[in-house]
Amino acid sequence: MAPEKLDAYVRNALELQGYQLDVAQTERVLAQFLRIEAIAQVFLVLPLPLPLPFDAEPAPVFRL
Amino acid sequence: MTLCATETAALIRNGTCSALEILADTEARIRARDPLLNCFTTTTFERARREAAAIDAAIDASKASGAPLPPLAGVPYAVKNLFDIEGVVTLCGGKVNQSNPLAKQDAELLARMGAAGAILVGALNMDEHAYGFTTENTHYGTTHNPYDLSRIAGGSSGGSAAAVAGGLVPLTLGSDTNGSIRVPASFCGIFGLKPTYGRLPRTGTFPFVHSFDHLGPFARNAHDLGVVYDILQGPDPRDHACAQRAVEAVGISQLKLSPKRIAVLGGWFQYWAEDQARRAVAHVAAALGAESTAIFQNAEAARSAAFIIGGAEGGALHRARLIERYDEYDPLSRDRLVAGSLIPASWVIEAQRVRQHALREALALFEQYDLLIAPATPIPAPLAGTETLTINGRTVPARPSMGLLTQPVSCIGLPVCSVPVWLEDAQSGGLPIGVQLIAAPWREDICLAAARMLEAAGAVGYRAPPFS
Repeated sequence: MAPEKLDAYVRNALELQGYQLDVAQTERVLAQFLRIEAIAQVFLVLPLPLPLPFDAEPAPVFRL
Repeated sequence: MTLCATETAALIRNGTCSALEILADTEARIRARDPLLNCFTTTTFERARREAAAIDAAIDASKASGAPLPPLAGVPYAVKNLFDIEGVVTLCGGKVNQSNPLAKQDAELLARMGAAGAILVGALNMDEHAYGFTTENTHYGTTHNPYDLSRIAGGSSGGSAAAVAGGLVPLTLGSDTNGSIRVPASFCGIFGLKPTYGRLPRTGTFPFVHSFDHLGPFARNAHDLGVVYDILQGPDPRDHACAQRAVEAVGISQLKLSPKRIAVLGGWFQYWAEDQARRAVAHVAAALGAESTAIFQNAEAARSAAFIIGGAEGGALHRARLIERYDEYDPLSRDRLVAGSLIPASWVIEAQRVRQHALREALALFEQYDLLIAPATPIPAPLAGTETLTINGRTVPARPSMGLLTQPVSCIGLPVCSVPVWLEDAQSGGLPIGVQLIAAPWREDICLAAARMLEAAGAVGYRAPPFS
């Protein structure tokens, strides 16, 4: 995603969530989010098959 | 004297020492060595004296009645400070938690250790809220590596690993969300077990990432690790992710299992390993007679999914307090937490699907192999304050990257034993490094059997640090 779009997303999301950070703090969070987004792209571009039942099950991976 | 847990229990059982004498020796060692290492954030010696006196009384009664003693009667241990200890504030490495109420009761695993006769002596340092791999805690200081005090112990269970390696206590408990047992076990040259996700209940511990939080033990040998693991097992309906399985004791003393189908994990696990880590894996593979290489194609995707799910769940957990009390959070992790709280829900859900996809691939691998081998960390313990690592020619930020090789495995909840390797060459710099022994879900017995075989063959093992 284009850096300027991520920049806008982070600033808006911070406000939406209720954070009141100063300029330096916001820049640091933005840097962290850019890294998170780059890591997410590893799987966001994957051609996963259509979801199976329980595919997005969050926690009990092996609960039997 | 620095004894392992089993030796300590035997001395108390046969009357050579009392539990109170062992405790006094332990307290003296902690007071002498902890100023160098900075493992403990709280000691519980008064409680420990009461518990030790009760054990000594039970021993006297046992002599008269013949009743058996619990397996860890009189053995001192300590826990990462995210476990609830009755009457103590559960810090979870955070200054922001200092004003929380005192814990009303012990965490479930402490209750199980207590029932086994173990004596709690304190709580141990960690990265704030378990979000780190270094135990460089801005509020409670850095925990130092016992083999080189200028280096880190790893994290986030750094205090737990350094306390065992440094000979302060024979056993500790820690937690592992992305590698927080395996990374410090690797850097501190000891054994660590991250059981299958859902095996051990987390009741009474401070959470980080519900989807990945595991608890587990550290010890100086595989036998102790197996003994304590059996004590910790058992269902607990209060933790909804804890499988309601009966205890499946590995019985480490009689464990004869010999895994035959063993492979080294290649691809991602070789690419992100520096020379010493690769050679440690080759050393373990040779000792186990493993000649195959297996590829976990989804390793990178699983690591990425772990990063996103972990960031989002951790961020959401702390969001409200980050808004109100940002300045009280550790500068080393607070911006990552805030950024995590902004991750879109669709990414998290997609990451959970990736996780299930990766799990299916791993389960297929275990149709071919009983055990998979991989480095625990890309490098041995770095110097405290290290900001970047160069791995395979690529420069990456140090603090989040020490879990590159552990995250793909904990993302899908597989059981892993980290074993310590010492390479006898100048390049290793006298530092240990860990190797992960990875098995299929619920097969901790295979991990522990392999660890025990390697230790018996002299291929892996604990070495006392120079200062001890």
